Amino acid sequence: MLQKKICMLGGFSVGKTSLVRRFVKSIFSETYLTTVGVKIDKKSVALPDKTVDLILWDLAGEDDIGSFRVSHVRGATGLVLVVDGTRAATLTAALTLRERVEAEFGAMPFVLLFNKSDLADRWVIPDREIDELRQRGWQVYLTSALSGEHVDDAFLKLASMVTK
Amino acid sequence: METLRQLLVSREISELSRVTHLLDEPEQLAAAVGDILPSAAARAPHAQLGEALAPAVERAVQRSIQKSPRTLTDILYPVFLPAIRKSIGEKIDQTFQSLNETLRHIFTWHGLKWRFESWRTGASFSEVVLKHSLVYRIEHAFLIHRNSGLLIAHVTADNATSEDPQLISSMLSAIQDFVKDSFNEKEQSGLDTIRFGDLRLWSEVGPFATLVSVIRGNPPEGLHEIVRDVLLRIHEESSQALEQFDGDGSQLASVEAQLQTCVELKQEESNEGFPWLVAVVALLLLSLAGGWYFLSWQSAQRWQAYVSRWQAYVSRLEAQPGIIVAEQQARDGQFYIAGLRDPLAADPQSLLSGTEVDPAQVHSQWQFYQSLEPEFVLKRLKASLAPPDSVRLSIDNERIVAEGEAPDTWIDRARAAARQLSAGGPEFDISKVRDVSPEVLEAKRWQAYVSRLEAQPGIIVAQQKIRDGQFYIAGLRDPLADDPQSLLSGTQVDPARVHSQWQFYQSLEPEFVLKRLTASLYPPDTVRLSIVNDRIIAEGEAPDTWIDRARAAARQLSAGGPEFDISKVRDVSPEARAAEHWQYYVSRLEAQPGIVVAQQSARGGHFYISGLRDPLAADPQALLSGTEVDPARVHSQWQFYQSLDPKFVVKRLTASLTPPKSVRLSIIQGRIVVVGEAPAAWINRAQAAAEQLSADGVVLDVSQLRELDLAELNHLREAIQTTDIFFSSGKVVPGPEQTPVLDRLADQIKEFAQSARKSGVTARFMLTGHSDTTGRETANASISAARAETVRALLKKRGVAPELLLVRGAGTFEPAVPENSQAGSSTNRRVSVTVNLD
Repeated sequence: MLQKKICMLGGFSVGKTSLVRRFVKSIFSETYLTTVGVKIDKKSVALPDKTVDLILWDLAGEDDIGSFRVSHVRGATGLVLVVDGTRAATLTAALTLRERVEAEFGAMPFVLLFNKSDLADRWVIPDREIDELRQRGWQVYLTSALSGEHVDDAFLKLASMVTK
Repeated sequence: METLRQLLVSREISELSRVTHLLDEPEQLAAAVGDILPSAAARAPHAQLGEALAPAVERAVQRSIQKSPRTLTDILYPVFLPAIRKSIGEKIDQTFQSLNETLRHIFTWHGLKWRFESWRTGASFSEVVLKHSLVYRIEHAFLIHRNSGLLIAHVTADNATSEDPQLISSMLSAIQDFVKDSFNEKEQSGLDTIRFGDLRLWSEVGPFATLVSVIRGNPPEGLHEIVRDVLLRIHEESSQALEQFDGDGSQLASVEAQLQTCVELKQEESNEGFPWLVAVVALLLLSLAGGWYFLSWQSAQRWQAYVSRWQAYVSRLEAQPGIIVAEQQARDGQFYIAGLRDPLAADPQSLLSGTEVDPAQVHSQWQFYQSLEPEFVLKRLKASLAPPDSVRLSIDNERIVAEGEAPDTWIDRARAAARQLSAGGPEFDISKVRDVSPEVLEAKRWQAYVSRLEAQPGIIVAQQKIRDGQFYIAGLRDPLADDPQSLLSGTQVDPARVHSQWQFYQSLEPEFVLKRLTASLYPPDTVRLSIVNDRIIAEGEAPDTWIDRARAAARQLSAGGPEFDISKVRDVSPEARAAEHWQYYVSRLEAQPGIVVAQQSARGGHFYISGLRDPLAADPQALLSGTEVDPARVHSQWQFYQSLDPKFVVKRLTASLTPPKSVRLSIIQGRIVVVGEAPAAWINRAQAAAEQLSADGVVLDVSQLRELDLAELNHLREAIQTTDIFFSSGKVVPGPEQTPVLDRLADQIKEFAQSARKSGVTARFMLTGHSDTTGRETANASISAARAETVRALLKKRGVAPELLLVRGAGTFEPAVPENSQAGSSTNRRVSVTVNLD
């Protein structure tokens, strides 16, 4: 049994919870987010040689980055950064969060998800910018919680990254 | 050689000497070693260095503590405090838990059982209680990586279920973080206990891993110790693996075995199976015994009730007069009683009714006897003596007393009975029974009649006797005294058997004399005759003729009779009475202030009077009424004069000066004093009057008069007096432009009048109408008067009291400006106002 603690970070209402709801095993209700500020879910990912249980800490997305509890990230081996593709500000938020986490606990593997890819007409993130991020070596995925597009790919990628 | 040596090794030599010097000088050596000591210590093998230093460090610490314990305490404080606190907390919890359990079970069936067990095993009672009451089971044990919250190992007890342990362990550490963050708790220890109903989560925090045990039931505090031991062992065994845990649990498989020991911990309720058969048998026996006991108890209760009723009956009998209870007992449900009873006493059998004692169960044996108790003796006497209705028998202090009247025959029988009773019985007293044989009765009545006669005034009994049933009496009687025959009525003496012989005589007793005088003198209604100290006194008024007759009667009486005093009867012949009335009238006049009687006389039935009278004094004629003097016979001659009596002076002054309300005139010790406030004019008049009066010797003191302060009013007066109402040529009604002037004038006049009234003076306003010189004089005069009238009406309409407004027309005679221009004539067409105070 191999398990890894993964934190899901992202601004308010970027769709973290929706991603989790459809593709992971969850036993706790979403009210945990508002009460405890965190909700734990599990995503089992089968790698060619083994199975990894990703223990996903869905941290409450907040507009106010200042109130984000860094302490929840302690012991995490990877991050899932979630951005709402229809709101440019959420990219900044996700990157700021990552910076704060790295400053506290050092660099760790992450995947960057541009969510709500199904809302093409309201998409605001230019492809150029995404390419630029990819050129940095970042794992970037355009996902849709609605269609499930690329979600599993992203988790698979992250699982392989954290078990290297 | 030396040179050669110098050449070859001089450098070494100097170096050597430097080193030797270094080694010889302790200070320099210390400085040199000090430089390298830290790195030397770091490179030394740890074990050896530790061993080498241990004794020195121990001694140093020892020394430090001896020197100043404070320093070390301060250093260790942060380490000790949490440990001590935690330890004490647990101990207290343990104590409380033990106390709670002990209290809860102290009076229960378990309690008794456990007390027995405590006695048997020698353990303390609270220990036994704790042992039995703490039923618990550890259902899960989670070993959680402290840093990441990842699950290291999880063990479940049989039949226990839970959700995904991986998620639970992460959530638990998230909650730990949450609590720590929320309440800003800095301590290293985590969340100790979470309790949810029957379920408790205990977490023990180790350096790398947290052991969370999920316990159902009521665990003893001591369990903490055990769980902590398990955690400690896990850390000891796999410290390295725990520290390096990265989510791969394969390295830590051995941990599960340790956790298993944890999960096996439990204290289950002893379930030995209830001994049903024994219980049923015991219950049966108990109910049988209980039934028997209940029945016997019930019958005993009932018998007890019977006996107490019986006792009540016996004591009732004992309280009965004429019944003596000799013995009584209650035996085998039957009652026995024996004793004496008077035949006149209450029937014991009938007394049973109402006692709820069954008569069939009562066995009585009564001997009759004669009770000597007074009431029984009384009963027997009543039965044997048959006393007449006029005799009453009663018991007084154990004695039987007969009272009343009885014929002598009955008295004899009673006396005999009394003699018989004397031995042992109560005394029978018949001394209060009067003998009422008929002769005795009649004699008594006669004596009563005689003494009644003797008490009568005007009757003197000379002789009386009874002979052969006949009564004889002789004596004197005044004709005015009561009739002896009529006095017989009500005495029950038979008049037919009374033989009287009365001689008439004149009694000299005052009351008879009075009666005779009244009959002979016929005194008028105004005279009253009465007896005072055996003297007859006449009082009142009578004509001289009657007085003469009375005087003659008094003379006749003088010998032996009572005195007749007529000195208090006044002679009231009509002339004397008229003179008296006249004198009364005159004295009344003389007492009148303002009337001086100079002369008066009564002559030939007529009255003459002359004198002085003030016109303000009472009318002498009017004073006649009620004096019974005939006005037709009074001839008066009065000269008017001014009385200098201060009262009259004040009256005259009030009438002549008409002082304002704010002034008060009063008479103080014969002087007339004027006090208050008045306008200056009035004060002047008062002063003049005072001067006049002083000539007549009357003092009028005006020094206390103050001039009315009209300063405020003067301003208003000025304003009113400078106001003019203007008119167009030939008009008697002012134009509309004058309306505000009129309004203001009305207000001012009202205010002035009110203020003046307050000060006690009346203000009057003279409205004078004027005209210009255009036209005829007569027309102008009437126009001016009409203008004044109009203004008066307009002011009245504005609420000014009309009686304060005087009106006059001045025509052209009082022009405001000389009449030589158009402007002049329009100025003269006006109504002016002047204010007068009085």
